[in-house]
Amino acid sequence: MKFTRIFFLSSFIALMTINSSAFASEAAKTAQLDADGFSVEMNDPRYKKLKTYLVEMKDGVLTPAELVVPEKTKFRLVVRNLGNKPAEFESNQLRQEKVLFMGAETTLVIIPLDVGSYDYFDDFAPTTHGKIVVKAKD
Amino acid sequence: MGQTIFVVCRESIEALLVIGILYAWMDGRADAATGKKWLLAGVVGGFGLAALLTLTLIGVSDLLGGESRAWFEVGMLTFASALIVQMVLWMRVHGRTLKKELEAGLEKSLQGKKSWWGVFFLAMIAVGREGSETVMFLYGSLLQLGTLASYVSFFSAVAIGLALAMVLFYALQLGGKFISWKWFFKVTEIMLLFLGSALFLAASEKLLGGPLAATDLPGWLYSNIWDMSSVLSDSSVFGNLLASLFAYRSQPIGWDLAVLGAYWVAVIVILKWQTKAKLEPVAYVTAEHA
Repeated sequence: MKFTRIFFLSSFIALMTINSSAFASEAAKTAQLDADGFSVEMNDPRYKKLKTYLVEMKDGVLTPAELVVPEKTKFRLVVRNLGNKPAEFESNQLRQEKVLFMGAETTLVIIPLDVGSYDYFDDFAPTTHGKIVVKAKD
Repeated sequence: MGQTIFVVCRESIEALLVIGILYAWMDGRADAATGKKWLLAGVVGGFGLAALLTLTLIGVSDLLGGESRAWFEVGMLTFASALIVQMVLWMRVHGRTLKKELEAGLEKSLQGKKSWWGVFFLAMIAVGREGSETVMFLYGSLLQLGTLASYVSFFSAVAIGLALAMVLFYALQLGGKFISWKWFFKVTEIMLLFLGSALFLAASEKLLGGPLAATDLPGWLYSNIWDMSSVLSDSSVFGNLLASLFAYRSQPIGWDLAVLGAYWVAVIVILKWQTKAKLEPVAYVTAEHA
């Protein structure tokens, strides 16, 4: 009896830690969201006309891993490669493909998207995927 | 290491597919030696093009700024897709008359000579386009190496990647030898036409995301027609390969379907027209020989 109790107790504790760590990494993965649940725009005086978001690539790691943008709105992505190797921002769903040397920066204009989720990835390290979530404007 | 193998192998598949099919096709021809020289020249030219494109990518040369680079890519991809369709047409005519030409001793036709330029440019673009990305990736990785062990590992990874890609090349050659010519030709013809459609779609999407980005097109062109990204996302490794070889899209928009529709209608009309136009002269020649 005692053994079962210890077993349940310890598995409960284990589950809690797994859960909370998953929660913590989830929070780090998504960019800061504003009050309406959209990603915070990048503030850059060069790009005032369109909503602009920043994506950073670093040796296969994509930050943020998830961007939330409004539906049917053209927007701009500023992509930076901070890694030690070249990177290629690619997405068939977003219709983009851009190679970036170390330290390079580029901007992409993304066509208006329907509600849904769109993947992007580093074509030179295709194990990690970033996601663009398109949400309806209320 | 795994990353280097993956990049080298994946990037060379498209180029090797084109070169492998052309090479296997030439093997059966009487003027194969001439054709292979043109093909080889195209591959060498492709490496030159890749090196040049890499220089513009890493910012050594400002030959192509943002806007003109986009136009250059659109032009190159459209040209490549037109060349593929033209190549298929050419192969259909010459594949059919091959035996007849050999028997009659007509080994070099004038029309054939003109089309060698097509082989040259097609090989050059196929190698140059994917090659420039590979060259940049390898160059960038090379800059990060320090120890002897890392150099050894890097170069063996490049060698393994190339070796894997060559397996595909040999598979195509074997296919040309052991499968009946008719079947091999039918299959490669369809593969080439699909590759042409993928290149054409890529060109149109670059146009949409680049020079046309500032214009507002009708909404239906931007709308998803269907979404099967949960079945096979084109961001997965396999889906991405299907995208670059067969123009697969998991979330196609109106624009994609309009462009692909236009491509296939054009191809079918041209093929129909060719069958009609070519049947008459062949019948005429046969009649003359008889």
